This record gives sequence, structure tokens and C-alpha cells, in this order.
Amino acid sequence: MKTRLPEHGPLETPRFWRTLEERIETPEAQRAAHDEFLPGTIPAGPDYDDVHGLPPQSGVSRRDFLGLVSAAAALAATVACDRKGQGTVVPYTKRPVEVIPGVANYYASATHEGRRVYPVLVKTREGRPIHLTGNDEHPGVKGKTSPRVMADVLRLYDPDRLRAPKAQGHVASWADAEAQFHGALRGAKAAGKPVLLISGAVVSPSRKALLADLKTALPTLEHLAYEPAAGDAAEVAALASFGQAVDLQPRLDKAKVILSLGADFLNGEDPEAQAAWGAKRRLKNAQEAINRLWVLEGPLTLTGTNADQRVPVSPSRLGAVAFALAKELAAKGVALPTGTDLSGMSAGAPADIPAAVWSSLVKDLRAAGRNAVVLCGAQMPAEAHQAAHLLNAMLGSEAVALRAAEPLATVKDLEAAAQKMASGAYAAVLFWDVNPAYTYPKAAAWKEAVTKVPFRAWIGQVEDETSAQCQLLLPENHWLESWGDYATPGAAVLQQPAIGALYDTRQGEDILLGVLKAMGATVPDGYHAYLQARWKKELPFGTSFEQALHDGLVKGETKTSAPVFKGASVAAAAKKAVAAKADGLELVLFPGFATHDGRHANNSWLQETPDPITKMTWDNPVAVSVQDAKALGLEEGDWVTLALDGATLKLPAVIQPGQAPGVLALALGYGRTTGGVAKGMGVNAFPLVGLDPASAHARGGAKLAKAGGRKELSRTQSHHRMEGRDLVRSLTMDEFAHNPQGHHHMPELVTLYEDQKFPDHKWGMVIDLAACTGCSACMVACQSENNVATVGPEQVARGREMHWIRIDRYYEGELENPKVVHQPMLCQHCDNAPCENVCPVNATNHSPEGLNQMAYNRCVGTRYCANNCPYKVRRFNFLEYTAYKTEPETLAYNPEVTVRPRGVMEKCSFCVQRINDVKIRAKGDGRAILDGEITTACMAGCPSDAIVFGDLKDPKSKVSQLVAASRAYRVLEELGVKPAITYLADLKNPAMPMASTEGGHHEA
Amino acid sequence: MADETRKPLLDRAAALVAGPLLLGREALGLVFRPDREAPPETPPEAVPLRIPITPPEHAIKRRG
Repeated sequence: MKTRLPEHGPLETPRFWRTLEERIETPEAQRAAHDEFLPGTIPAGPDYDDVHGLPPQSGVSRRDFLGLVSAAAALAATVACDRKGQGTVVPYTKRPVEVIPGVANYYASATHEGRRVYPVLVKTREGRPIHLTGNDEHPGVKGKTSPRVMADVLRLYDPDRLRAPKAQGHVASWADAEAQFHGALRGAKAAGKPVLLISGAVVSPSRKALLADLKTALPTLEHLAYEPAAGDAAEVAALASFGQAVDLQPRLDKAKVILSLGADFLNGEDPEAQAAWGAKRRLKNAQEAINRLWVLEGPLTLTGTNADQRVPVSPSRLGAVAFALAKELAAKGVALPTGTDLSGMSAGAPADIPAAVWSSLVKDLRAAGRNAVVLCGAQMPAEAHQAAHLLNAMLGSEAVALRAAEPLATVKDLEAAAQKMASGAYAAVLFWDVNPAYTYPKAAAWKEAVTKVPFRAWIGQVEDETSAQCQLLLPENHWLESWGDYATPGAAVLQQPAIGALYDTRQGEDILLGVLKAMGATVPDGYHAYLQARWKKELPFGTSFEQALHDGLVKGETKTSAPVFKGASVAAAAKKAVAAKADGLELVLFPGFATHDGRHANNSWLQETPDPITKMTWDNPVAVSVQDAKALGLEEGDWVTLALDGATLKLPAVIQPGQAPGVLALALGYGRTTGGVAKGMGVNAFPLVGLDPASAHARGGAKLAKAGGRKELSRTQSHHRMEGRDLVRSLTMDEFAHNPQGHHHMPELVTLYEDQKFPDHKWGMVIDLAACTGCSACMVACQSENNVATVGPEQVARGREMHWIRIDRYYEGELENPKVVHQPMLCQHCDNAPCENVCPVNATNHSPEGLNQMAYNRCVGTRYCANNCPYKVRRFNFLEYTAYKTEPETLAYNPEVTVRPRGVMEKCSFCVQRINDVKIRAKGDGRAILDGEITTACMAGCPSDAIVFGDLKDPKSKVSQLVAASRAYRVLEELGVKPAITYLADLKNPAMPMASTEGGHHEA
Repeated sequence: MADETRKPLLDRAAALVAGPLLLGREALGLVFRPDREAPPETPPEAVPLRIPITPPEHAIKRRG
């Protein structure tokens, strides 16, 4: 579909729009809106409806065909009378003590991604972990986790996992592999030659202790903790501002005003921040306190889409703007930290920010004082980080917690290591859960340097670009098969296995313990014993290790002194920020929503979850601003070449409304060369990462040019459109206070049918659009719970994705800086469901509890129901997506949910298996179901608690009370289908009157 | 109305006879297929179709 940007805006613009085509109102978009299925969704072929004539029927006639079929069926039936190939269901002869068939077990455990720790609760069925949620006991995450962590259960069952050690390319026993490994390290020690260990971030106290023990046993060991997508600039800035590495945790529950400098803290990675955000946005009335989010950023981030006030600013200018803000606040009486010198800054509003917006921002921050916080994006230049640290120190912000952290290696450290390797200094190198052959910007030079190290070993799960260069591959357990611990604010967290190792693999720490033993150290037998010995010394009186394992944590605050801001660091940073100027286009390289730094690239659930902003799946096109696209004559999907510092990539482009002019955005983590799922998806953007850690991920001087041709994008944003109907509502605080229903007036619904009776329960849901950030955690949770199939990029491009819940992203206003509302859309379980009436075989029908349910084995695949669904939430299995799967992939299935074959329609069931589970348990206990006891997967997964599920027949239930709220509305209520889902209108709290709406100032 | 596009009777009869005959021959071939020759070298160790699942050692479950 063509997307040519207009020279002049259309005369009348719709209030909300989802795609550029809709905004521009192209004839193609208008046609597409009327088509139920995308062109190509339904297979092209003979027109079987045309039975009466033209062109004349050729080939076998119907009568002959039936004759053939009858004869063949008779023969096939005869042949099929054979007992071969029949399986036998055998119960456990020796049932494991922990496993009761049909009953789920839950284990508390934990994992981490970079420095962020995720305490989780693991649901296992018949010994298989199948679903992850946050640990409800943890004071920070409170039962929530990130979409990537939820999807990580699939990595446990990745068929590409290495199942036994490999030496020189051949499968070897652990004894042989260890003999080789230990021999090489002993040789290095004896020769006094250095050994290099590169691992991910060390956030586990026991792992840190183990590495210290290893350093004692092997004094020539050099260790680098490398997180390629963590943002080197943040490390550089922390060292400059505090003299040490810091971990920064927003405390948004204390924030009245939040200023984001390109920080994407609402992207699902930080469940704690999202929970606090949601709590401040789920307002019952306009008198309740709401926070205000200001966002200054180049690319449009998920946090930017939730902004109350957003200004597009290029990354190179962020530092200067933030220092100018500090100068302005200082001029208005906010004290500067000792030693701070801002004399190099000129006073007044920077050119990037309109004067009225500037004065309003200054006023807001000053008024909020300790309740204001400034957060800076990890990819932004170091000066912007330093300015954010300065502003927080000036304001005395209580809405951010700083903790000392273990330092991370920057790209500069890797460069030094590469040079040392190339010089032949190292005797051995060990890569542990890292892939620098893929993530290091100058991969060819890195690989060349690695070959100069005589002994190269690798610990990891799936063979990758780095393992290809190693002689010894040591397969590692998945974290769900491993032990560990973490220190988090508010609790010490334990990680325990939820399943025995599936293959002949070992935990990385166990491998290192083996090294310690080989070096002559006295160590416990296994990492479990090592961990237990350390914990037993530190556990508070009266708490057993077993109890800590049961809970997954021990609550308590570790007392550490907060890092102190050094005012003397400001002058140089401010000078650099003022001088910063980008030649050409600025490129922001950010961790992919699905892939992060590439470690999740082999996960099909994540690859197929649409990027929350671009709605792209399975690919990482470069996002171009509307203004630049116009200047370059670009259209959606056009192939472009992106050149920077000698590296050139050819990739498709997407036009991103809201992106600052002169800024490009590209996700990292794609373009892998290994992995059955990851290989060949997107392009590897790491070659564009800079070698200056102060601005490694935000770089100037990029050049973009059309390369000719266009790629068909596997993008979901134009799928399932609803013809510009009034589906999403957004209110300013003034509108909420005075006229929450706005111009929407509910027509009187008249029906000839009798109202349905619901004798016991009537299940319903409320979704608060003000709390929903669009992070897609609900989508991943649903996929994991309901065995939702993935279909691949080609099928997504044809509109055949299978997600039961999707996030519709609506823009409002102008292309250059639109406001955005996210709306989760799923089966509305209508009382008068239009899909039920048209099913010729009654495969979809209504339960006495108000559920619109599917009988899969009755469905004959007419797709009438999908045609008649006004919400476009029914999904059809056009191809066989599941039947050919074998173990280990099938081990991820939830046995409580039918796996659907080809030709069957499916959709959200309100997690009927969870409803029945609670009903059975309540019946067994002889009690009524409690309000809030039933949680659908999307509700449990939503980190901002935007989704509430419950019984609408119970007037005291939370869901019943929310349905009566003043912000409540039902989508397409005028159709009279009586949906069971109620939405609460989105809220924006702008400081300035909004461009497209009448609004006023509402105190934050 | 007569279907003018229909094929001659002989063609149809041939299709009716030949179809089941061919299918039947295929089916019989499946049932009475000759045994495969023994592989020339020692067969590789049989890979189990099912991956054995073991409960985690020392872990403490929350509920279930």
C-alpha cells in the first residue's frame, strides 16, 4: 500500500488514526477498511462459488469426484484397520513426590536482564515450567514482571539448545571437556599468562563471591562484565557524577512531576515503575492527585506515547537543554550542589523548546521540588545523564533511588581487550553468556583478535557467533534449571530450579566451581551447596533457608550509603553539551523490544509480538521522521541504505509520526546468523554502535539514501481496522472534571429479544486506558497461557497473526507530534454476540456465565463469525501451525488449553480454564468465589494493573464498581451487542492547552 | 438441463475404475512393503522420542 506524505494536510482529519494511510485518507486505506481480511489472507484459487457457468467447468466433474472419493474412502478404511503405531498411555510407575498429575506446582525463583532483577513465580505442570509471573511476595515487583521474562520460559524448550559439551566441533563427555578446560587454565596459571573472562552483568552476591574466589585461585584472571545494550553513556556519566557505577531505580510513587530525557521507563522492562505509574493514573474522580509526565526525546518511545506533554528534541541537544533547565532553576532560587559551575551556559529557553512550554516546565519542576524526578534514557549521550543527575541533586528528588553497582565494561574496555588479544597476551579466553562476535561494533576485528588466543572456551545455551570461534563449548542450564541469588532494594532474592536439567548441561557457576577445585581450592560440592553455605551465614535469626526458598526472598533493606553527586563534574559536561552538534542525521540505537541485545532473538513469541511503537514483527526497519521522509521522498517499506563511519546497512524504512526531524531510530538485537528462529530476521545494527562510550548509542553523521524497491513489512498496525469508528476515548483532566462523557451520548437500545439470564455469575472485565502503557505484557502472558501459535513473518504480512489480545495504537492530532492512546483489544464476550448467530454449526455459543465460548472440534472453519465480529478479534488457523511440533517445543504447552489445528477459529476465552480452576477449588472448600480470586493471564501480566476481571453480578466486586465510573464506556455500544468489557477513557494531564482539544491547567 | 460440459461416458468409466485401482495398489504397497535392508554399519544409538523430565533437586515449592 502506498503512503505518500501530503504536501498539505487534508481538510478534515479524523480525531484518532492508526496508520499514515488512515491519516492521509488514501483510497487504498478506505478500501482496506471495508475488507474483512487483508488482500492475500484468503488463499487465491478457483472460485468455487461460481457453479453455474462461466468459465465452463473443466477437469473431473463433481459426480466423478464423489465416485472416486467413495471408492478411495472404502479402501483407506480397509487399510487403516491396523494396530501399528498406536501409543499407550501409561501412568507414573514411580510418581515423583512433588508431582500430582493435573495439579500445578509453583516455585519462587528469579532471573535478571542486565542489572535488573526479576523475582518470579514459576507455574509447573507435570514437572514442566509453563508460565511465569512476578513474585507476589516481593515488595518492589508485587507479582509483576516484564514481557521478555514471561516469554523466557520458551527459551527453556528451545530446540536449538546445545545438549552436551563439544570439543573441537565434536560432542564430548563432561570429563573430557573439563580435562581440556582445566588443563588450559592450569597451564596459563603456571606460565603466569593472563586469562580473560567476559560475562554479563554480575548482580548476584554469590556469583560475585565465586568470581572473587576464582580470582584468588587464578590470579591472572581478568574479568569484564559486558552488557552491550545497557548504554555505555550511563556508565560514563555515573563515573563522572558519582565516581562509581550506580544503579538507578525510579520511585514513581513519590513523583508528582516526571521529566524524561529520552528515558523509556514505561516500556515494560521495569514492572516496579509501571505499577507506580498505573497507581497514579487509575483515577476514580478528577479530584484525586495525578502526576504529570514531560518527555523530551528524539525517537518516539513508549514512555513518549504516555506523555502529558511531549517535545521532540534530538539526542545531541538533550544535554544542553537539561543544563539550561538547571541554570534556569538555579536563577529561580533552587540551590546548586557545591562546586557546580554553569557559567558556560547562556540563560533562557533553548531554541529547541517553545518559550511557553519552557516556562511551564520550569514552573512544574520547581513547584514539585522533592517530588520531581528527571530520568535519562540509557542510549542518550553522557552529558544528558550528567545533567539529569544534577537536576535530581538540585531538586533533592525522593522519586529516584541510587545504589552503588558493580561496574560494567564499556565498548572502550572491549576495544582494549581486543587489542590485548590481538597482541597474543592472553593464554585463554572464556565467554560466559555473552556474544561479542555479534555485539562488538567492529566484529571482523574482534574475531581476528580472538583467533590469536590459543585456548577459547564458551559457556552458553545456544551456539552463536562467538561459540563458532571456540574450541570448547560448555552447555549451560537455563535459569529455570539453576540456582542463584540477587540483592534487590527491599529484599534479598533467591533463584531455585523449577525443573531438573533437561539435557546434559551444567550451571555456569558449577563449571567455575569445577575450575576452582582443579586449581586446588576447597569448595563445596556444587553451586547449590556453595549458595546455601553463604546464605546460612547471612539469614536473619528465625528464618530457614527452606523458608527463604519457599518465599523466594528474605525481606529487608540492605543499608548502603547513597552515592554523592560531585558538583565539580558539571562544568566540563555542560561545556561539551553546549558544543554538541550533530552533522547529518542522528541515529539512536536502542535495544529491540523483542530481542533486547539479541539474546532473545531466537524466541518466536517475542519476535511475533509487535513492537509497541512501529507495530513491526520479525524485523527492525529504520524509523524515519515524517519531515525527513518527505524530504527524501520515502514511503513505508522503501529499501534504504544507512551509512555511518564506514559501515553501511541496507534495510527497510518506516515513517514514524512524532519522531524529531533529523533523527533516525534503529533497534539492536536483529540480524543474527545463528538460531533456527533468529537467523536472517532483520539486520544487525551493532556495526553502527560507536567506539566512544560517551555516545555509543546516539550518534551523529548518519547518511540515509533510497536504495530502490520496497519490502513487504510484517507489520500489524493496519490489521483489524474498524473503519474510523469512535473506539478510543481520551480526556484531559479538565474534561474529566467537567464532562467525562463528552459528546458521546448513548443511544437508547431497543431489542425484541428477552435479556439473557445469568443465574450464578456474569464475568466481565474493565480496562483502564489511562493506566495502560501499551507495553504488550498482556499479549505475551496470553500467548504463554493459551498456547497461542506463532505464524512467522510471511503469515503476519498477510494478516494471519494469532494473538488473542492485541494493542491498538491510536494517534491523535498532527503527524509531527501526535498524542497517542493504547487500547488492548480482545474478545468482548458480547451478550448479543453477532458471531454466535452466524455460526452454522453452533461452534461458538454463550455460556450461562456470559462467556462467548468456542467448541473447537465443532468448528468447520467457515469464518462467518470473524466476518460478523465488529471488534475483529477472532483468529483463524489458516495453516497447520501446531501439529508438527515435537518435544521439546511441545513441553511449553499449557495442558489446560486445547492446541488448535488448521481450519479452526479461535479467540480469547477469558481464560476459562482459570475460572474453572478457581470454581473447583472454591467448591472443594465449600465457599463462594472471592472477588479478585480469578485472574486472567492478561490481568496477572499487566504491570500497571490496567485490567480488572470479576463477576458483574456481584455489586460489591471491583469490576462492578469500575463499570459505573464516570470514565467508563463500551466500544461500539451503539450496536447493541452488549460487550462484557468496559473501557475507562485515557487521561492526559497537560500543562498547556492541547493542540487538538480544549483543556486547561490541572495541578500535578 | 443436460450438462453439456460433461465428459464422454468412456472417460468417466475409465476414471472410476482406474482411480480406486491405483489407490488400492498404493495402499497394498504400504501394507506389504518389503523389509528394508539392514544398515551396513552399527545403527546409531536410538534417540528417545520423549525428553525425560525430572523434578528439581532441593527446590521448595510454593503451593500445588
